[in-house]
Amino acid sequence: MATAVHLDGITKRFPGVIANDDVDLSVERGTVHALLGENGAGKTTLMNVLYGLYRPTEGRVVIDDEERRFESPRDAIDAGVGMIHQHFMLVDPMTVTENITLGNEPTKWGNLAVDRDAAREAVVELSDKYGFDVDPDARVEDISVGEQQRVEILKALYRGAEILILDEPTAVLTPQEVEELFEVFEELTEQGKTIIFISHKLGEAMRAADEITVLRDGRNVGTVEADDTTREDLANLMVGREVLLDIEKPPTETGETILSVSDISVDDDRGVRAVDDVSFDVSAGEVFGIAGVDGNGQSELIEALTGLRKPKRGGITFRGEDVTKRSRQHRIDSGMAYIPEDRHERGLVMDFDLVENAILGSQHNPAFESGGRIDWNATRSHAEDIIEKYDVRPPNPEAISESLSGGNQQKFIVGREFERDPALVVASHPTRGVDVGSIEFIHEQLLELRSRGVAVLLVSSKLDEVQGLSDRLGVMYEGEIIDVVDPSNTTEEELGLLMAGEHPDDDDTDVSAADVDSVATGGESQ
Amino acid sequence: MSVGDRARDALARLVDASAAERILISIASLVLAIAVGTVLILVAGRMTTCAPSSAVYYFNVGFCYDPVLVFDRLFLGALGDPLRGGWSPDGQFAITMRETTLLIFTGLSVAMAFRAGIFNIGTQGQMVVGGLAAALGTLWASPFLSGVTGTLVLVPFGILVGAVFGGLYGAIPGLLKAYAEANEVITTIMLNFIATGVTLYLVSDVFKDPNSPANQTVPLPDYAQFPALLFGARQDFSLYALFFGVVTLFALYYVLEHTSFGYDVRTSGIQPEAAEYGGVDAAKTIVSSFALSGALGGVAGALYVTMVIGKFQSGVPAYGFDGITVSILAGNNPLGVGFAALLFGVLKSGTTAVQFATDVPPQLVGVLRGLIILFVAMPEFFRLIGRRLVKPTDQSKTIATDGGESNE
Repeated sequence: MATAVHLDGITKRFPGVIANDDVDLSVERGTVHALLGENGAGKTTLMNVLYGLYRPTEGRVVIDDEERRFESPRDAIDAGVGMIHQHFMLVDPMTVTENITLGNEPTKWGNLAVDRDAAREAVVELSDKYGFDVDPDARVEDISVGEQQRVEILKALYRGAEILILDEPTAVLTPQEVEELFEVFEELTEQGKTIIFISHKLGEAMRAADEITVLRDGRNVGTVEADDTTREDLANLMVGREVLLDIEKPPTETGETILSVSDISVDDDRGVRAVDDVSFDVSAGEVFGIAGVDGNGQSELIEALTGLRKPKRGGITFRGEDVTKRSRQHRIDSGMAYIPEDRHERGLVMDFDLVENAILGSQHNPAFESGGRIDWNATRSHAEDIIEKYDVRPPNPEAISESLSGGNQQKFIVGREFERDPALVVASHPTRGVDVGSIEFIHEQLLELRSRGVAVLLVSSKLDEVQGLSDRLGVMYEGEIIDVVDPSNTTEEELGLLMAGEHPDDDDTDVSAADVDSVATGGESQ
Repeated sequence: MSVGDRARDALARLVDASAAERILISIASLVLAIAVGTVLILVAGRMTTCAPSSAVYYFNVGFCYDPVLVFDRLFLGALGDPLRGGWSPDGQFAITMRETTLLIFTGLSVAMAFRAGIFNIGTQGQMVVGGLAAALGTLWASPFLSGVTGTLVLVPFGILVGAVFGGLYGAIPGLLKAYAEANEVITTIMLNFIATGVTLYLVSDVFKDPNSPANQTVPLPDYAQFPALLFGARQDFSLYALFFGVVTLFALYYVLEHTSFGYDVRTSGIQPEAAEYGGVDAAKTIVSSFALSGALGGVAGALYVTMVIGKFQSGVPAYGFDGITVSILAGNNPLGVGFAALLFGVLKSGTTAVQFATDVPPQLVGVLRGLIILFVAMPEFFRLIGRRLVKPTDQSKTIATDGGESNE
């Protein structure tokens, strides 16, 4: 078999961040290749390099044994690379035929008019060839999401794509549509097309792909044959296990219950149930960890707890008060600190300097505001304190947040949140994208808070982190906390199994067809 | 390096430009606009006919329109000819100042909304509503007072009424956006039509001056109008109003930069997700920003009534729409609005001066004005676009797009 795509040492740097670090990837012609990894692992960046949206900082893109330099997606399309984005790029009021041929319409009368008949014929021919069931005259707004996806695929094929990239193709599909999509994959590869699809769902990668490449922190951590691997292996590869310095965790006395979550259910932005009937308590002086592969409802759960998302059902009690319906501001004021998973979107206002960012969340706090007026002098000294205590570099409160490196941005957020004198710290991936030295520092600070009697809710997909820091560890899978374990008495293998959705008490640990379906569809099947 | 790369680099440089660089860029743009305008005037002057004696000659070629004279009138004429001696505040300069004053308020109205991430096209409607309310309120209150006390009470009262009603009218699209997710561009445009239509009905029927054939209210008594200071009353300009405008510029700057409300507004404007994280109540901020924006538009309407025409009359000039340009020209910075309003005021009043002094058709003067504004506004406009374009592709944002979309 010939190699259709060869990415050789691709490195893509953005200011302060390495999105892809020396990634090699080879895909054989006529195969399905899954690109597996967590959010932020660099999957989409890598595919954007292949599709010509980004130029790699280093490395080579080789298509059909020929090195290519793509200036834009148009070059990639010319080289036979097509990409189907997660959000479809279709014109809703136009017909399937019009959408597929858009920009490349067959013409008549010397390029003066679109030859509609020829266009329709071409589309029918193409969809017959690959056994697609689409009505060429239907309006895109009238057809299902699964059909729209097939229209996108036809669009790429119409433009001569030999290599198809699909970015999280199953995220928007129902279980039946996922199955249909995988049948389409088979049909396409039989006819010699090559497919690369991005996913963070283990089950569907195993189901649909011939080979699976796992990316973590921008690096290729392994390419495996789908038939020779298990879901536990993949889960372990995805979350990884960096060797951390031993975390010294002195025993502490746990106090009263600070946060109590009862039977909470939360929907994601698409209205799909992401968190299903979750309950747990966090006490003062305790670290409660939530482990799990990204995308199993952790983000939605945390947003519901911190007041950024309304839960559909259930209650949240914080320091004895029912805060389910209270505002985000109220929760901040009553002592809930929150390190968000996304520092660029939420944690910092990138255009503000550190002084202005130092009071994000406490702009109405009497310590910095009186009579509606912000005391910028007090704010500045607060920012300077954070910078000094948490070793933020450069130590310049006037630095625009955007100019800081990721690790320093994170240290500043951590400092700001810890200095709130909180009763509860919700830390969501607090060390993601942070250098080793800062990781250690943030861990120490978390344990320091714990010993001072602060309750800590830690969400991380790094197994060693949650295992090392937590006093109790809940494992989240498909929107549910499927077990709460004592991390010191649990092996990594056991955790890996739990994270892959396989409870050790279950008799059936095979990957049955029904199991694959439920994996592929996330929370939708519930 | 491809064209795209170079364009991107240029955009990035523009985004990173310092304040001094931006002022330099603006001045260079102005000079460039004048150069292009000169060519246009010369060409237009060649294509028309005039008596040889009235033509102007450059390099032995006759032109019917003289660019030097045109730009002299457009700028120096608007400023009341400060270089000729015998300068007096009356005349064209007062008109320039009057336009500037009104544009300060409509410009601030738009800028205020912009800073909160809202595109308020409805300043015009808020101005109309504020103007009618100010006229009716003042007319209602004027019989109770007279003389100097009347002026001292009624003028601020009129402004207050204009601000309140403009603010209420501005709150409508705010509420619609905050609680019904209605796009503010659409709603404000529609509300402009509603404001114009309803006020036209009111002043042609319910509140019509029975002694006038025009659709207008009864004129305000003299003591209820803005008192003139230094300038003649004939020019419909009061230095007090300009002073009030300048104070408002600084006040709005202070509110945005030094209050927690301003902090909430700015945070919502540039990074709504971070604002949400920081506990900012998005709905409340949208409504209050819109109300404040509308109130500033309402003040412009009140000033138009109490300072300029002394009554409410249907057909309020498009100061509200000019405010959008003024705000963009100023980069939505309240202090910049002062300068942008002055430039705009000069151009508006200079147009009249050009028409007095030359045969240049008003359409051509309109083109020149448009050129100048286009040239001066473009760098700022590209900066605004560039902030969205350059950053997401070259910065942090990419990290978030990886799979992060599935969480949206």
